Amino acid sequence: MIPSKFQISNLVEQFPDWMPRLAFSPKTVSPAGDLLVVVFLRGAADVLNILVPHGEEAYYRLRPTLGIPRPDDIRASPAERTIDLDGFFGLHPALGDLLPAWQAGHLAPIHAVGSPDESRSHFRAMELMERGAKDERGPATGWIGRHLASLDNGNRSPLRAIGLGEQTQLSLRGPLPVSALRSIADFHLGGDLEMASRMAAALQAVYQNDPELGAIGQDTLEMLDTLSRLNPLSYQAGGNAFYPESEFGLGLKQVAMLSKAEVGLEVAAIDLGGWDTHFAQGGGQGQMARLLTDLGAGLAAFYNDLQDQHDNLSVVVMSEFGRRAYENASLGTDHGHGSAMFLLGGAVRGGVVHGDWPGLADGQLFGPGDLAVTIDYRDILTELLQKRMQNPDAANVFPDYVSHQHELFR
Amino acid sequence: MSLSRREFLHLASLMAAGTSLAACTPINRTIGGPVDVVLPAVPERLSMTDFKILSRLTFGPRMVERQQTASIGLYAWIEEQLAPHSIDDTPLEWRLHGFDLLDFDAATLASMGDLLFDDLDPARVVLPFQQATLLRQVYSRRQLYESMVAFWSDHFNISVSKGDCWFLKVVDDREVIRPNALGNFRELLRASAKSPAMLVYLDNQANLASAPNENYAREVMELHTLGVSGGYTQTDVMELARCLTGWSVKDHFWRGEFTFNPDVHDWGEKRVLGLSLPKADRPFNDRIQAGLAETEDTLDLLARHPATARRVAEKLARRFIADEPSEQVVARAAQVFLESDGDIKSVLRSVLFDGLIEMRTALPKKYKPPITFITSALRMLDAETNAGPSVIEAARRMGLAPFEWPTPDGPPDRAADWQGNLLPRWQFALAYARDELEGTRLNGATRLEGYPDLSPEATIDRISPLLLGQTLPKRLTDEFGAALRRTSGIEPAELTAVVVAGLIGSPAFQWS
Repeated sequence: MIPSKFQISNLVEQFPDWMPRLAFSPKTVSPAGDLLVVVFLRGAADVLNILVPHGEEAYYRLRPTLGIPRPDDIRASPAERTIDLDGFFGLHPALGDLLPAWQAGHLAPIHAVGSPDESRSHFRAMELMERGAKDERGPATGWIGRHLASLDNGNRSPLRAIGLGEQTQLSLRGPLPVSALRSIADFHLGGDLEMASRMAAALQAVYQNDPELGAIGQDTLEMLDTLSRLNPLSYQAGGNAFYPESEFGLGLKQVAMLSKAEVGLEVAAIDLGGWDTHFAQGGGQGQMARLLTDLGAGLAAFYNDLQDQHDNLSVVVMSEFGRRAYENASLGTDHGHGSAMFLLGGAVRGGVVHGDWPGLADGQLFGPGDLAVTIDYRDILTELLQKRMQNPDAANVFPDYVSHQHELFR
Repeated sequence: MSLSRREFLHLASLMAAGTSLAACTPINRTIGGPVDVVLPAVPERLSMTDFKILSRLTFGPRMVERQQTASIGLYAWIEEQLAPHSIDDTPLEWRLHGFDLLDFDAATLASMGDLLFDDLDPARVVLPFQQATLLRQVYSRRQLYESMVAFWSDHFNISVSKGDCWFLKVVDDREVIRPNALGNFRELLRASAKSPAMLVYLDNQANLASAPNENYAREVMELHTLGVSGGYTQTDVMELARCLTGWSVKDHFWRGEFTFNPDVHDWGEKRVLGLSLPKADRPFNDRIQAGLAETEDTLDLLARHPATARRVAEKLARRFIADEPSEQVVARAAQVFLESDGDIKSVLRSVLFDGLIEMRTALPKKYKPPITFITSALRMLDAETNAGPSVIEAARRMGLAPFEWPTPDGPPDRAADWQGNLLPRWQFALAYARDELEGTRLNGATRLEGYPDLSPEATIDRISPLLLGQTLPKRLTDEFGAALRRTSGIEPAELTAVVVAGLIGSPAFQWS
C-alpha cells in the first residue's frame, strides 16, 4: 500500500494539472532527434541592423542615420548601442534578452547566408527557400515536409509537425498531412460535449475514405482528441520564462507546451512578419526595434521555459533575403541579397559568430549595393537535419544541391 | 507589408470588442421577427457540371440562381451577369442602408476613426467596410461582378492594417476597383497607381529623388503587371522608382488625396524597359504634366506588355477554372487581352467560355478559400446574416477576413495553400448549424424541424442537394447515418443541426 500511494503522489507531482491525463497515444513515440523550431522572419529582415558589423567602417558610411551605434559610441545612449559579441559583430540592442544564451554558448549567428536567387522578390524568394528548390522546377513540397517523409522514425502522432497560425507554412508541405494550430485552448469543435462528439463522429464518417482530404481530416480529428486532454489555461512556464503577449510569443508558448506534453512533436514552423522596412525602420528604437524585442523576448522565454530540454532543442531563425547596405531617403532600406541565420540550442556551437564575412566596402558589395552571400542556407539546414534530426537521408532533402559542412554543432 | 498577419489580430480584437453604429442598424432591420422561408425545391434540370461552374462564378449559388440557370442556360446567365447594371439590386441596396461610410471621402473617413485625445480606432471604419463587402458578396444579384471585384481586390491587394490604409482602402474600393472591375485593365492600373491607399501601402509617398524607395515600383512590375519572370531587371525597378518620385498623398488639407510633388521628383533622364524618357525641360506650367507622364507612359507600356496579358489571363483562369489551368485557355485569353487592349470583359469571356468547354469534359476542382466557404454556406441555405463580427472573425480564423491579407502578393489561389486548416471550418459549420453565430440565422434548414419523422439518412438526402448540388453517394450517406444512429437520444432539431454541420464540414463542400 505505502509504495503504491507514494507512486501516485509522485505521479501527480510529475504531471502538472495542465496535462491531467498524460495518456500516451500508442501512435506516439519519442522522437530520436531534437525538437526543431523554424522561425521565419517574413518580409526580408534587415540583418545588417540585427547582427551589426560594428567593426566595419563602411557600415556607418552607408547608413549614416540608420546604423546602430558602436558599442562604445558615447554620443548614443547606452540603450541604443550595439551589444558587442566578438569585437567586430554585435547584436541590436533590442535583442538583449538573447545574451544569456550567447554566453552559455547556445546561440550561433551565421552571417552572409542566403540563397542564390537574385529576384529580390519576397514571394519568389520565400517560395524557393521554403521549398528548398533552386527555381520553379523541382519539388513542389517543402523542405521540412520532405525531411519528415524521408525520416521514418515510427512517429505517427498527428502533432509530429505543426504550423503555428492560420495557414500551414509551405516548408511543411509534403506527403504527410500537417495542420495549422493557432491556440490549443481554442482547438475544439465548440458546442456542448455531446454535440461535439456527434459532430466528430459525423466528420469521421465523411472524411475516412476521402481521397483528397481524408488524411488531413483524420489528422485534425486526432489532434482534437489529443489536445482535448491538455488544459493549457493552467500552464505554467518553467525557468521564470516570460512570454511576450504577442502572436509570436503565444505561438512559442504553445510549442513549449506541446513539447512538454510529449505528444510526439518534432517540428514546429512559426512566422514573424513585418520586416519589409522600406520606410522609417528606425534604429535603436522604432518599428524594427519593436519587432526585434518581440523576437528576442519570445525566443528567450522559449529557451528558458525548455531549460531541461536544451540538449534536444534546435531553433533556427531565417528570412528570405537581406536588405540594401545603404539606407534610402525614407529612413528605410530596399530589397537586398545576403541575409543571416541564427541557431539556438544546447548542441549548437554557439558563442561564436560563424560565416565568411564578405565586407561592405566598395567592390565587396553585390549587385546594386547588397551584402554578398558566402554560405548557402541549405548548408545550414542540411547539417541540422543530419546532426540534430538524425535524418540519414538529409542530403536528399535539397535536390540538386551538394551541401558543405560548417561545423555548427558540437 | 509592415505588419504581420498575427499582429493584425490586435486590431481584430479591437474590432470584436466595439460594434459600431453603422454595424448595428442593419442587424435589427434584417433580423427582426419570425422568419418564414420555405426551402425551394431543387431544380432538376441543372446538371452537376453546371452547378459546379455556377459555384465558381458566384459566392455559392442560391437556389434562385440555380433555377434561372437551368431555365435560360449557363451561357445566357453569364452574359446577363456581364452586364451587371442591367440587373436590379434593390434588395442589396436596402441592406446597405446605414453603411454611409461607403460614400464618404477620405478626410471624413479618417475623422470616423478619430477618438478624443489623439487616440485612434480604425475598427470604426474597417469593421463596417468589411461587413458591407461581405453583404455585397452574400446578397448582390450581380454575383459575377462581385467575384471580379474580389479578384481585382486580391490582384491589387491592399491591407487595411498598413498606415492610413484603414480608411484609404474604402476610397480605393469605391473609385479604383469597383468602377473598373469589368472595364479596361490599363485604366484600372492607372487608377491604382494614383490610389492613395496603394501609394501608402507600398511606401511611395516616401519615394524621393534624393534616394528612391523601390517598393511600389517593384511590386507594380512583379505583381500587378509583368510577373516575376516577366523580363524586367533590377535596373528597371530602380528607373521606374525614379519616375515615381513625387507620387504621393496629401497629409493635411485634403488629407488622403493624391498629389504629385514636383519638388521631390527626379527630373533626370530615365530608361525603363527600353523606353527612353528624356530629361523634362518643358516650361514650368507643364512640369507637373511632364512629371506624371513619365510614369503614365511606363504604366501604359506595362499594361500592354505580353507578359502582363499572360499573367492576368493565367490568374483569371486560375481563379475560375483550375489551380493549373491549361496552356490553351491561358494563351487564348492572353491573346484576347492584347487584341482588345486589355478589355476585361473580353478576356473574361475567353477564359470562361473556353475554360467551361474544357471543364465539361474534365472538371477540375477548386478548393474554396475562407470567404467563399462562408458565403456559400450562407447563400445555399438562404441564411439571414448581418455579416457582422462573428462572421468576420470566423473568416479570419480560417486564414483570411476581407482586406486583411498583409502582403502585396494578395491571397493565394491554389488548394494546397488553404488545406491545412480544417478546424475553423468545422467550428463555423457547427455554430452556424446550431444558430449560434450572432447576427446570422439559418432559416432554411430549421424548417426541417417540421419533419421529425425523418431518419438520419433521409435528413441527409434532404439537405445534401441544397449544399452539394446532389445527394451524397449512398455509401457515404449510410456511413454518415450510421455514425448518427450510434449517438443515442438525438432530438430532431439536433439531428438537423449535425447533418447541416457535417455536410458543410464535409470534404465535398470544401470544393467548388
